[in-house]
Amino acid sequence: MDSAERIAAASKFLLQSPPGEINDVLNDVRNIISDDESLQDGVRPALRDYNLQQFMTVNVPGTNHQSIISDAARLPSSAEGEPVERYLDPRSKTSFVFDHLSLEASEPQEVEPDGESEPFRTALEASTLQYLVAHYEAGVACAFSTPDSPQRFVIQIVSNKYNPANYWSGRWRSEYVIDFNENTIEGKILVNVHYYEQGNVQLATTHNISTKIPPAVSLSSPNPSANKLLATIEHEEALYQKSLDDSYEEMAEKTFKGLRRVLPLTRQKIDWDKLLGYKLGAEIASSKGGFSAGS
Amino acid sequence: MGDIVDSMLDLMRRMPPPQTEENVATLIDICPDYADDLLGSVDQPLRLMTDRATGRDYLACDYNRDGDSYRSPWSNEYDPPLDDGTVPSPRLRKLEITANEAFDTYREMYYEGGVSSVYLWDLEEGGFAGVVLFKKTMTAGSALEPSGSWDSIHVFETVERGRAAHYKLTSTIMLHLVSHRESDGDTDGKPGFQDSEKKTGQDRKRVGEINISGSMTRQTEQDFPLQDSSSHIVNTGRLIEDIEFKMRGLLREVYFGKTHDITHDLRSVDDLERARRQRDLQKELAGFIKR
Repeated sequence: MDSAERIAAASKFLLQSPPGEINDVLNDVRNIISDDESLQDGVRPALRDYNLQQFMTVNVPGTNHQSIISDAARLPSSAEGEPVERYLDPRSKTSFVFDHLSLEASEPQEVEPDGESEPFRTALEASTLQYLVAHYEAGVACAFSTPDSPQRFVIQIVSNKYNPANYWSGRWRSEYVIDFNENTIEGKILVNVHYYEQGNVQLATTHNISTKIPPAVSLSSPNPSANKLLATIEHEEALYQKSLDDSYEEMAEKTFKGLRRVLPLTRQKIDWDKLLGYKLGAEIASSKGGFSAGS
Repeated sequence: MGDIVDSMLDLMRRMPPPQTEENVATLIDICPDYADDLLGSVDQPLRLMTDRATGRDYLACDYNRDGDSYRSPWSNEYDPPLDDGTVPSPRLRKLEITANEAFDTYREMYYEGGVSSVYLWDLEEGGFAGVVLFKKTMTAGSALEPSGSWDSIHVFETVERGRAAHYKLTSTIMLHLVSHRESDGDTDGKPGFQDSEKKTGQDRKRVGEINISGSMTRQTEQDFPLQDSSSHIVNTGRLIEDIEFKMRGLLREVYFGKTHDITHDLRSVDDLERARRQRDLQKELAGFIKR
């Protein structure tokens, strides 16, 4: 394998990291590849992709809250002379540079929001944060407007729980793209759980929702509309959790039971002496002479 | 040296189980020198093969592999054929045949289907070792029915000590479960969903997949009395039956309990804010009563 192939392999492993374990995976990969020099720069694109896909959270400089690193948060590369990517926290109207390895934000700058979409975005953010505290103990959420289309908004939610002492970690991500031009809400929910005490068990779910924007929701009435949109999201997420529970039950009752019984039909464990005696009685009798008779 | 193997094993404990085969292949590409270490320590799904001589299915894994060929427990032949493939000593092969029959009965009683295979090999320092394999797959009857597979790998080593034998058993069970879901409209008819919104229900579409997969490993050691060589089958049979019983319970707990609870930890079905307010109110009341 040449250096480029090794970097590609390392990147593939990084992108498969379970929630909260990217550093462990990176350490393993460093040791396996043993070429820190080329790895250091080589895996940066993969770390960036991972952070964007996984809705990595970051402490926003100068605030007490966290925001989400994602494609929606990425500012379009501005004029020349600014080659470094910047990310936006719409809540504090701050943009910053994000280090994809240390996961830290720096060089905060104030950002002037788009006048046309900001009133609706602010209302959406308020409703989203209200919804967040109602259902997510450790969640982070953002409401973004989209630079090119003032009629389109993106809500993102991420909830992480890392418990390495008890060998598990979990991540819930949801995203809703609300598009008034198309009159649609496109949602997706992704759940990942890793349980690794003397094993490696992973839950991975995908769920896509397409629906129309509810009637009476309009850009001209930000607050009531935002509340209605979040009511729809709350309803869909509740429905999803219920359907997850149903799937669990179905898999436990149908598939798991069908794969292997708890006990044989006789409802007791196998009598091995009898099973062997029955199968081998004749053979043992002929070779050992009388052994099978007594036992 | 050993460090690299440790890192590889740690990495494989973190990678998504459905991609195990692909990831092991990548690791071997990176470090071909460690291929044997890796193949010997990372359990991969058992492959189904058909014995050309008897037409019976058997299971292929690293323990019945010689080069690129796999030995069938039914005919003792390698596929693709090998002239000088490793086979157990005649005495051990005799025991292997009996063990395959016994565990095939066990398979039928517990799995009601699937395939089993037992492979034994002589140990240089005396005694012998073996592996007992079970695999069962359930395919979905329709697109929205769940499917799944179960692979059991029980590797044991035994040393005879007079009229007793000591057994060391390492058991791994790989379990994959997949379920697809699809729904339209407001199938649940949740109360509190307003009429005006219900009308748009027809436009709603939800599509999803749930995948729970992975493996768990347990090790046990035990002494059993030994009457003759067939006692080894009785003893390993009891040992394996016992550990599979325990591990089935454990898998059930982790797959359907643990991952479910963590999901509910990530997002609470109940309104946390309401619960918080209720707690505050209770505190206030308690304080009021004390006064």
